[in-house]
This record gives sequence, structure tokens and C-alpha cells, in this order.
Amino acid sequence: MTLLFAAVVASLFGSGTFLVLKTDLLRVVVGMVLISHAANLTLMASGLTRGEAPIYPLPDDAVSDPLVQAMTLTALVIGFGVTALLLGLAYRVYTTHFAVDFDRLAEEEARREAELEREEVSV
Amino acid sequence: MTATLVLPLAIAWFSAVGLVAFDGRRAWVGWTAVGALGATFAAVARLAVSVWTDGPMASVTGGWPEGVGITLRADALSAVFALLTAGVLLVSLLHEVLAGVRSRAFPAVVLFMTVGLTGLFLTGDIFNFYVFFEIAMISAYVVTGYGGEPRQLSAAFVFAVVNLLGSFIFLIAIAATYHVTGTLEMSGVAERMATVEPDTVVLIAITVFVALGVKLGLFPFHFWLPVVYASVTPAVAAILSGALANIGTYGVLRFGADLFPRELELGARALIVLGTITILYGALQAMSRRTAPEVIAYSSIGQVGYVLIALAIGGPVGYTAAVLYSLLNALNKALLFLAAGLRGRLVGAAFFVGAMSVAGIPPAAGFFGKLEVFQAAIEEGSAVLVGLVLLGGALSVVYLLQIYQHDFWRPAGRGIAAPQSPAVLRGIALAVAALVLALGLWPEPLLAASREAAEVLVRESR
Repeated sequence: MTLLFAAVVASLFGSGTFLVLKTDLLRVVVGMVLISHAANLTLMASGLTRGEAPIYPLPDDAVSDPLVQAMTLTALVIGFGVTALLLGLAYRVYTTHFAVDFDRLAEEEARREAELEREEVSV
Repeated sequence: MTATLVLPLAIAWFSAVGLVAFDGRRAWVGWTAVGALGATFAAVARLAVSVWTDGPMASVTGGWPEGVGITLRADALSAVFALLTAGVLLVSLLHEVLAGVRSRAFPAVVLFMTVGLTGLFLTGDIFNFYVFFEIAMISAYVVTGYGGEPRQLSAAFVFAVVNLLGSFIFLIAIAATYHVTGTLEMSGVAERMATVEPDTVVLIAITVFVALGVKLGLFPFHFWLPVVYASVTPAVAAILSGALANIGTYGVLRFGADLFPRELELGARALIVLGTITILYGALQAMSRRTAPEVIAYSSIGQVGYVLIALAIGGPVGYTAAVLYSLLNALNKALLFLAAGLRGRLVGAAFFVGAMSVAGIPPAAGFFGKLEVFQAAIEEGSAVLVGLVLLGGALSVVYLLQIYQHDFWRPAGRGIAAPQSPAVLRGIALAVAALVLALGLWPEPLLAASREAAEVLVRESR
């Protein structure tokens, strides 16, 4: 089971990294989502125990570890909020630059820098 | 006792939640936020005083028995960091409110960041550390986009993506720590780490270091930092470098010296090498830049190197140097960013005090930071390290005076041509400069506090 989790986490993290390295902002956001889920799965895998749900644990029963589930739930919520924020930022970047591609953003930035420099020389 | 611990968090949290509903551009919202942050600062100061007089305090939230609930605790290390951070946030928010807030969420978001940062220093639980860390970071992503100019927005996106990656790597390290120790409480983790197989602990320690290195902008993880610091508004840059960067230094101190002391010793040489590269790289890059924000941004990369070297040297002297240097560096950077954004009479003086403090020239407070690092390097008995600290200081004089000359001296420079900034804003920058000078002339309280904080680390790493 641990091996399976490790394989899934590795492939999620790998695909996420691949997407983050793309120049398209939306792909970067999706990549971050994948990486956040890799982290969440690692949290789950860190306390894999078999047993009853620990709602009303009896002394003799084996219970599953509730702490990792609580942590994952917290991390999921944080990840969700962060994804919304990233999408919002990407949208703001799109409305100001009319581009969601890092290459084109960089081009525009270089153009602006050159303008600034010309101003400075003329001063 | 619990009330003293929880009060700063409660004030900041409730006022943030209340204020987020209102338009922050209105004067009363801004001033309410300043008032709430001032109250938080006072509460943190009260906490620091009671830690100073009565020693460290701890409390378990929610009335759970110890070892089950989340622990909040304050010792000298967390108290000095919390106090400095709240102070920097207060000054930056005051600056922005006086200059005119430009976006509706800004005051509330700064309060949320205060919650995150204060909580992070006061928690004794590593998962809770992550949660507060995320509260502070998410506020930072929002604050970076503040101003709404195109380059600020794309800087905010880069900042958010890179730092989120760091956060998730940190989360994975927490999962691994929980897996091998079965606990999330810092003191418990520190105890049980000794019994875990060393190879595993080394891996976890490296993961934590990478995650915190991204926040700190250490040499191989620094690439996001100059773009962000140079694009944002001066008050935001002061917040990022003077308050948010404390996560990194506090985290490295707390996790390195407290939770992974053996791994810290093992990796001391690597840390010294990284610190050296960071110092030289930051200084050389700073020398080649022409605009003040960029120079200060690279300078903040370089300054972290000293903290790293002091941490690697370790022991009471090394830890004292690391704590003192991180505190002074945060203060210097906040001052420099605030002063560099202003124009007019006496601003040059404020900037100059900050520059002298970074270079470590008395009577500015930075002198004592450099002095402590010197002492640590001499303790280590390494001539190369002493030379390096000296070289780093000399280079920082060069790059900061270049900027000083370029911005404040040239007759046709932007310094004279630009209109004067409002007197109150210049007053704030001067007040911070006066504080830096005062700490340089009367350094005993700060030195004693750093020694006390280092004592915490030395005691616990045994």
C-alpha cells in the first residue's frame, strides 16, 4: 500500500512539475494543483493504519489514525483557497496584459524596461 | 497566562475579519486597522515582557490535555521575532495609510498577515506552524499584487507559484516527520528524532531546509526575489523583507537548531559554503544594479548568508549572532525600502543610516550584528570566514553608497528633481532611522534578548 501511495505521489508531483515549467499561466496553476495533491496524499500516507473510524473508540478496537485525515482536510482547504487565488491572479494578469503566456509577458516587460531606460538617458 | 499568549492573535484576527468587509480606501478603515495593529503590537510587547521576567510560557488550546491538543508557547526566541515583526508591520501599514491606501482589501490583509506571522512564532506544533505560515503567505501573495500595475501582478504570480512550491515541499516534510516520530509537537519531535534512523532524518532535514530556503531567498532558491522586491510598492517591499522574511530566518533557527541539531552539525560545512556563495553573489549582483529597489533586493539575498554562516558555526556565540543579525537585517531592510521610496529633505539621512547599518559601521545598530558574526567566525578559528565577513561588509558599503550618490546626490538625479514626499512619511522613515541609531548607541537590551533567545536553542539542542 505504501508503495502504491509512493508511486501515485511521485507521478502526481512529476506531472505537476512538468506543468509548472510550461509558459502558459493556466497550465502552471493546474501544475500547482497536482503538486498540492501530491503533498496531501503524502500526508495521508504518513499515517496509514487499518481500523474502525475513531468516532467512538472502544478500548479493544483498533482505530485508524484520525490525525492525518484532519491534517489532510486542513491542507485540502488551504490548497483550494490558494488555487482560487492563483486563478484570480492569472485572470488579473490576463486583463492587464491580454496574455496568459510567460514569453509574451516577458516580451512586454522588456519593452517597458527599454522605455524606462530611454527616459533615464534623456533625463 | 493563556490570555497573554492568545491576546495578540485574537486582536489581530477579529479586527481583520471585521475590517475585510469594509472598503480599506476609506480613512476610518485604515486608521482602525492601524489601531488594531497597534493594539496587537502592545499585546506582543506585553507577552515579551512577561516572557522576559517569568520565563517561557506554554498553553494547550481548547482545554485538551498536554500532548493531545495544539500547544501555543512563547520563549525568548519567539518573543523577539514576534515583537520585531509586529513593529515592522505596524510601521509599514502606518506608512501606507498616511500615503493613501489604493486597494480595498489592503488594511485587512496586513492584519491577516499579522495573525499568520504572530501565530507562527508562538506555535509549538509543526502542522500548526504550516497553517499559520500559509495564512501569512496567502496574505503576502495578495499584498504583492497591491498597486495593481501590470508588473506587480506578474511579480505576484511568480511569487505565489514559487513560494507555494516551497510550502508544499514543507508540507511533505511535515508528513515525513509525523510518519517517523508519530507526533507533531516540536518538543516531542526533537526528542524522538534522536531515535530515528539517521539517513531518514537527514532527508527530512534537507527537505525542510529547501522549503525554508525558498522563503529566505538563499542562493540557489533566490531567483524569484529580485523581481518581486523591485516591482512592489515601498511599503509592501518593507513588509516582505522586514516581516515576511522572518519566517525563513526563524524557521531555519527553530527547525535547524531545535529539531535537527545533529543534522545541522552534519551539514555545517554545506551551510557555510552556501552562505559564502549567497553573500558574494548578493553583493556582486547588487553592485551591478542601478535602481535602489533592485540593489536592496540583492542586498537582502546577500545578508541572509551571514545568518546561515552564524547558524552553521552554532553554539551560544553562533546562535546569538544569527538571532541578532536576522533581527537587525529585517529592521535595516524595512528602513531602506521605506526611505528609498521617498524624496525630499532628510530622507537621504534616513537612507544613509540604513546603509551604514547594513555595512556595519557604528553608531548604526548593524555594527553589533557584524561584530557578533565576527566573534562567531573568530570562535570558529577560521581566517577565511573573518575575511569573508569583512569583504561582504566592504562590498555593501560600495553598492549602497553608489545608490545613495545616484539617488540623493546628483544635481540632476531623480532625488532633487522629484517632488517632496509628505512630511509625515519622511517622519516615519526618520523615526525608524532614529531607532536604528538608538539601538546602535544603546545595544544592551537587544544583545541581552538575542543571548536569551540563543540560550533557548542551546538548551534544547542538548
